[in-house]
Amino acid sequence: MITLSQRREVGEFRKRYRWMALFVVLVFAGLIVRVAQVQLFQRDRWSGIAQQNITKTLELPATRGVIRDVEGRVVASNRPSYDVYATPRLLHPEDLERITSLMGLTHDEGEALEGRIGGLPAERRTHQIQLFRDIDRDQLAAIETHLAELPALDIITVPLRDYPYATLGAHLIGYLNEVNEADLASASDPRAYRPGDRIGRNGLEKRYETLLKGSRGFRRVVVDARGRALEGATPDSLDVEMLRKPVPGHDIQLTLDMRLMEAFDRAFRPHPSGAAVVVDIHTGAVRALYSKPVYDPNEMSSGLSTRRYAELTADPFRPLIDKTIYETYFPGSTFKVITALGALQDAVVDPAERVECTGFIKIGRQKFRCSKRHDWVDLYDSVVQSCNVYFWELAEEVGIERINRFAEAFGFAERTGIGVNSEAKGFLATREWYEEHYGAFRIGYTLNTAIGQGNTRVTVLQLAMAYAAIANGGTLYVPQVVQNVRAPDGSLSETFQPRTKRDIGIAAQHLDLIRRALVDVVQDEDGTAYRARNEDGVPVAGKTGTAQVVSRKGRSEESSSAWYLDRSHGWFAGFAPADDPQVAFAVLVEHGGSGGASAAPIATAVMQKYFSEPGEGE
Amino acid sequence: MAIGRTIRDEFDWPLFIAVSTIALFGVLNLYSATDGGTTSDAYVQQLYWLVLGFGVAALTAAIDYRHFERYGWLIYGACVLALILVFVLGKSVRGSTRWIALGGFSLQPSELMKIGLIIALAKYLHHDTKTGGRTLADLIIPGLILALPMGLVLLQPDLGTAMILAFIFASVMMLTQLKLRSMVTLLATFVVAAPVTWFYLLKDYQKERITAFWDRLGGTQGDLLDSGWHTHQSLVAIGSGGLTGKGFTQGTQTRFRFLPDQHTDFPFPVWAEEHGFIGALLLICLYLFLVLWSLRVASQAKDRFGAVVAVGVGAMLFWQTVVNLGMVSGLLPVVGMTLPLFSYGGSSLLSTMLGLGLLMNVSMRRFSH
Repeated sequence: MITLSQRREVGEFRKRYRWMALFVVLVFAGLIVRVAQVQLFQRDRWSGIAQQNITKTLELPATRGVIRDVEGRVVASNRPSYDVYATPRLLHPEDLERITSLMGLTHDEGEALEGRIGGLPAERRTHQIQLFRDIDRDQLAAIETHLAELPALDIITVPLRDYPYATLGAHLIGYLNEVNEADLASASDPRAYRPGDRIGRNGLEKRYETLLKGSRGFRRVVVDARGRALEGATPDSLDVEMLRKPVPGHDIQLTLDMRLMEAFDRAFRPHPSGAAVVVDIHTGAVRALYSKPVYDPNEMSSGLSTRRYAELTADPFRPLIDKTIYETYFPGSTFKVITALGALQDAVVDPAERVECTGFIKIGRQKFRCSKRHDWVDLYDSVVQSCNVYFWELAEEVGIERINRFAEAFGFAERTGIGVNSEAKGFLATREWYEEHYGAFRIGYTLNTAIGQGNTRVTVLQLAMAYAAIANGGTLYVPQVVQNVRAPDGSLSETFQPRTKRDIGIAAQHLDLIRRALVDVVQDEDGTAYRARNEDGVPVAGKTGTAQVVSRKGRSEESSSAWYLDRSHGWFAGFAPADDPQVAFAVLVEHGGSGGASAAPIATAVMQKYFSEPGEGE
Repeated sequence: MAIGRTIRDEFDWPLFIAVSTIALFGVLNLYSATDGGTTSDAYVQQLYWLVLGFGVAALTAAIDYRHFERYGWLIYGACVLALILVFVLGKSVRGSTRWIALGGFSLQPSELMKIGLIIALAKYLHHDTKTGGRTLADLIIPGLILALPMGLVLLQPDLGTAMILAFIFASVMMLTQLKLRSMVTLLATFVVAAPVTWFYLLKDYQKERITAFWDRLGGTQGDLLDSGWHTHQSLVAIGSGGLTGKGFTQGTQTRFRFLPDQHTDFPFPVWAEEHGFIGALLLICLYLFLVLWSLRVASQAKDRFGAVVAVGVGAMLFWQTVVNLGMVSGLLPVVGMTLPLFSYGGSSLLSTMLGLGLLMNVSMRRFSH
């Protein structure tokens, strides 16, 4: 049976058990400390990751507020854009090839995509990133068909900005494009924008970005390790917000009338460039802010190519510049009414006194020419017929200081405060400025200033606001383009009241005299805009002007358009209807030549349309 | 025979209760780990294996261990033969060949080899006449007893099991009075052998795991896609369990399949996620008790064979537990290593139960002659 030949010595082993036991206890103690560290001290960190692991956050983009004109016509709204998102961790290399072919990408584009995904840091790989934006219908169909085989992909529909009027009013309305580093850094709420988001870059879109934008929502879904959504499988331990609805942006209603804008667009057809502004004389509400030519905001939104941008910058008619508020021009004869009102208010002229216009005057050796020989004219006649000689004579009495003082009162050389985009200040040259820049002051400078040449520069909007003040009895308003803001539920959240800049302080009879003269500019046979009158139509009053263009010699001699670009700009500024003024306007036709022939017909035609069509307008 | 009476008197109740408790926890945990998945009946299979395992353990405990001593070489030889058969009949899973199909189920001979090695070493030391002051020369024969099966296991390749064989050997040899000089020599050999192993013996995926481990210890995130991902998700599971856990079957890491091999190599994170630190501590203490108890059994053994078997079984439990827990808690690189009694898998459970049966055997016969 079983017999061990001898009892083996176990004493040799005895000494080791205690050491072994000690070793075992120490190692287990180490394990316990480690588990305690992970479970008790690092718990929050690991719990956070556990929650991230099983939840995938789907973004619910906010609908940007709609911009409408004064009559409720949609100026900026949203259309669906189909964007493709991917979870990089779940993307296999062969998936990328698949996507490249489904999307119809070139080899290079495919490689760029691969590089972009390969370069992502590990911690971002479990979160969705945007692969493509606004894919077309064919691409959408291709991807959607194969979505089941590409579990890493997701198609998300987001609203994209759409401008139904395209170029019309584009400078004012603005456009969106993708946020950049600076936007992200300067955002007051760091969660408001993420790379790939769009932000109002220009115009009202920029000015009212915070109101229009709304705030995004999200929906969290529980997913397994492969990223597949498991509906209705929310574990008890998951106490995170699963759904937050997006909040749409506020809607904005403008004071602008797009019908008026369209009318200007039609009237401007014969001319390649120009600008027009119409304002309500009783409120300062801007009805039209028209600049030609313009870029297409839809094009700007989707990102301009360098070549296209170069084209826009090189265009001699400068589509990127808003000619209503950002460009300045010599006001020409439209400025004469300021000189006249200054002289009347300070009583340095007797309006009934007549001056003989022989077609020119001589100051020292210099000869200043009038448009024609006007014979004997008083102040009234000289406004109607735009006689320079009368105003030159007057200028000596009035002096450059007084002219500038009244020009400032009418809002020149001062920003109107429209509050959108960058606005030019314009310029009024003082005696000191002439001394500094021209060596000495000469009386000829005053003469030029009196008739709106010299160095006086104004914006189209400034001129319209000044004429509104003449029409309304001397109140200078701050121009406003936004009428009200509505919350997503439709309730009014803000209504903008008219804002007065100042009361210019000109006696009513002087304003009345000038207004009557402005009426006769169009009505009188001798008036400079007589040919532009609306026969039996809406009576329009205004003042023509012709602004010389600083010669471009040496710049574009060889260009075929050089002769055109050296032509004077035509002005017409005034108000309508002449007998009961409601709106004031300023129309500028770049290189249109005489204002009476180019700008006045546009103004009278548009006013005719604006006031004669039933049920609309004021 | 007096065996019936002996069993009643000498039955090692603490050992039995500790083993049964861990096994029960293991089945519950398996239920949770596989609930709702494609292998949701795994816990039923595990129950069958447990019944079989307890039966095997009872049988092993009932036969006087001197029989095992007597047929020691035969048992060792049979195990080695099974290892060789793996290369002939084996099936390949994930690039390594470890299994032999036996009728309806698979057997992993390398698991049985652990017990074969313990018995062979015990037999050798039992008959060794030396009682102290051993030199390296005295390690040659036991070294060969280790080298043969270890070499075969490395060829499969199964780094984890090979490592456990080496650890069992080292632990058992620590019982003997090895001279200080010899220990230093051994250590020096290891230092030289390590780079050789790294450059010539380790496969790329094995190196990758170790690199990922060092990256993590160094504080860098590493590549979460591959090796590092397993440990990361394991830590997420353990850590998010907190003090009291998320509740039975409520672990999100488990339910949503973020844990790799959650019922074989990573059952502890499942347990720790659902039962928190309290549950984890309880489980670790049960293992600690088992290991210490086996040392106690060894110290009371009536002969060298019994003592070596007890220490060998204790070492097997200890090293597998430590390596598995160290791996899932990010202290050690990821190697395939089951948690004894707790992991799903028949072969692993059977070899553990065989070992525990032997331990019970030694414990019950500490006073008999």
